[in-house]
Amino acid sequence: MSVVDYTANRRVQLGGAILVGAFLAGVGAALYFEIPLERIFTVGFLNRTLTAASPIALAAIGGLYAEKSGVFNIGLEGFMIIGAITMAVAMYLMGGTSPSQPHVWLAVVAATVFTLLLTVLYAVLLIRYKADQIVAGLAVWFIGLGFAPFVASLLWDTIRSPGLASVHRYSIPVLEDVPFFGAVVFSQSPMVLLTLGFIIAAWIVLYRTRYGYWIQAAGDNPKALDTAGIDVNRVRYATLIFSGAMAGLAGAVLIAHAGEFIGTGDTNVEGRGWIAIVAYLFGNYNPVGAALAAVLFGGLDALQVQFQTVDIAVSGRLMGLAPYVGVIVVLTIWGKTKMPAAVGEPYEKEQ
Amino acid sequence: MLTASVYERIGIAVGSTLLALLMGLLIVGLAGYDPLQFARDLVAGAFGSERAFARTLEHTTLFILAGVAVAIAFRAGVFNIGVQGQLIFGGITCVLSIVWIAPFFPNGPISGTVLIAIGFVAAALAGGLYGALPGALKAYYGANEIITTIMLNFIAIGLVGWAVDGPLRPDDARSVRTEYLPDNVGLPQLVFENPNFSILGLAFALAVVIVVTVIMTRTRFGYDMVTSGYQVDAAAYSGVASKRMIVQTMTFSGMVAGLVGATFAIMIQGYFIDPTGIGNYGFDAIAVSLLAANNPLGVVPAALLFGAFDSASSYVQIESGVPVQLIDGIVGLVVLFVAAPELFRMLAVRTGLGGDN
Repeated sequence: MSVVDYTANRRVQLGGAILVGAFLAGVGAALYFEIPLERIFTVGFLNRTLTAASPIALAAIGGLYAEKSGVFNIGLEGFMIIGAITMAVAMYLMGGTSPSQPHVWLAVVAATVFTLLLTVLYAVLLIRYKADQIVAGLAVWFIGLGFAPFVASLLWDTIRSPGLASVHRYSIPVLEDVPFFGAVVFSQSPMVLLTLGFIIAAWIVLYRTRYGYWIQAAGDNPKALDTAGIDVNRVRYATLIFSGAMAGLAGAVLIAHAGEFIGTGDTNVEGRGWIAIVAYLFGNYNPVGAALAAVLFGGLDALQVQFQTVDIAVSGRLMGLAPYVGVIVVLTIWGKTKMPAAVGEPYEKEQ
Repeated sequence: MLTASVYERIGIAVGSTLLALLMGLLIVGLAGYDPLQFARDLVAGAFGSERAFARTLEHTTLFILAGVAVAIAFRAGVFNIGVQGQLIFGGITCVLSIVWIAPFFPNGPISGTVLIAIGFVAAALAGGLYGALPGALKAYYGANEIITTIMLNFIAIGLVGWAVDGPLRPDDARSVRTEYLPDNVGLPQLVFENPNFSILGLAFALAVVIVVTVIMTRTRFGYDMVTSGYQVDAAAYSGVASKRMIVQTMTFSGMVAGLVGATFAIMIQGYFIDPTGIGNYGFDAIAVSLLAANNPLGVVPAALLFGAFDSASSYVQIESGVPVQLIDGIVGLVVLFVAAPELFRMLAVRTGLGGDN
């Protein structure tokens, strides 16, 4: 067993031990305080968790592709905000305050494409002009935080959109009545299914195709890839633009569930792009791992509603901080991730 | 950026600001407003009257302190994005410590001065601790400080917001706030007649700039700190304990951020409010510091620019109807351009200006 395998194994064991410990502590606390567990962990809770996890997972997949290839896309949060406002604006322009379902789907496409186009400019700045990846990524966040409410203000005179439309759940007759599975699998937000599709596709492309190997090589050993005749920067352009599009899609999916854009404070995105970065670090750059981490953070997010429904007297505002605390705990335990060797270094071909 | 000369850095800062402003004007035009009117209102809102100028200096004071806090960390190669959270913790601690200790002092200007000093020290301690936490997590557990400090911002806003609306809110308070600071705690009105600005606050901020500059350029600690930012290996060879340095840097940076909170509470607000209602000084300070190439002295003119932006924003919305958020967007563009000095070098070569490199 190599050293890498050993540390990877230890990480899994350590992670497993902590999850089991946290679970036992939670059950213990619930028994002690007589909290009705069966009323907290309901099917509704699972569905809300998956709904909350989808945007995080989508952005995380994009981010991990970029980082695998050697570029750190720290602008995920900003691109999510841009995707979110574009989604709201597109819905409003097509269907006013009562957009139809086709409008919702068209708006998702519009938001993804628009964010993709902006990421092309960002990619040129990062790769061709060798911009500082951290500073430029922060800049995208600030640009999103400024221009998204600005656009909302121009259009609606306030920084919050009117109520628009949410995407409808699909439900398959008969099958949806199957206990538990019916309500989770056969009656679900289509966005959750879409996310699942992206997770599987991202895993296959990264680990089972030639292009996936190029992406990994661009981050781990760009020189070798170059020697093999593949243009490193072209691979990086592709993954970076893909990550922006995925963040835009993530923002759009968030709005498709929320049904409105909120421009106050940190907008409705509220740090989910940053959480996505932690999700893929936690998931060890594996799309499936990143998705599982997203489910964890989504669950912490959804817990807030659960506690309210069972009348546990914890302030909603304090419960809303759970994902952020979770992120810090995760980063503290999993901080020393094995980053691709060449992340953050612009690649220059030797003449 | 590290290899740029002083002139190049100034060129990049001026170029970035002008380019961002130009794009801002373009957007104003596209949105159907008059860009020239917008530009005139921008200047009038910041410097057009004594009232506007005092307001500009009020914001400048906070931006100087916050910019220095960011510059300390960035200079040492640590990305402290958590100045906003640190200033919130510093500010609330300042107000609470003064409110709690004040009953033990007689009412009068001298005890007022002592209370202000206590408030500033308490704020620096609280801000320093809130900065030391992500510093220690980075140094000893490898937790990326960009993300932990952003999370700690959210946590500070949520926690303090909950506290000022709950346990810390006086029964007779109609709005979300803490107790008022005692009457004898406040900075005197000199030169300008603006209840939210005292020239003493600005003087204090400038004094902090000088102290930090001296520490960074004339002391062993400062030398080690800056060296660990530029030359990690060299610092290690000369015996710098890099882990402890990270914690110390973050503590130092957080302490200055705490002073922003104290200045906000004592000079401007007179009590503490829900942190969502406090301006994004900690975030804009990142732009301030970057424009200044993370040099504490350079922070002063950059802070004046951002003070002017902030001061003008509400005036602009009232006069020309352009939503204030545009200013935040322009700030983002400034940061984006500062991140890409190569862009300006190539532009300079293309246009024949300073095309010697």
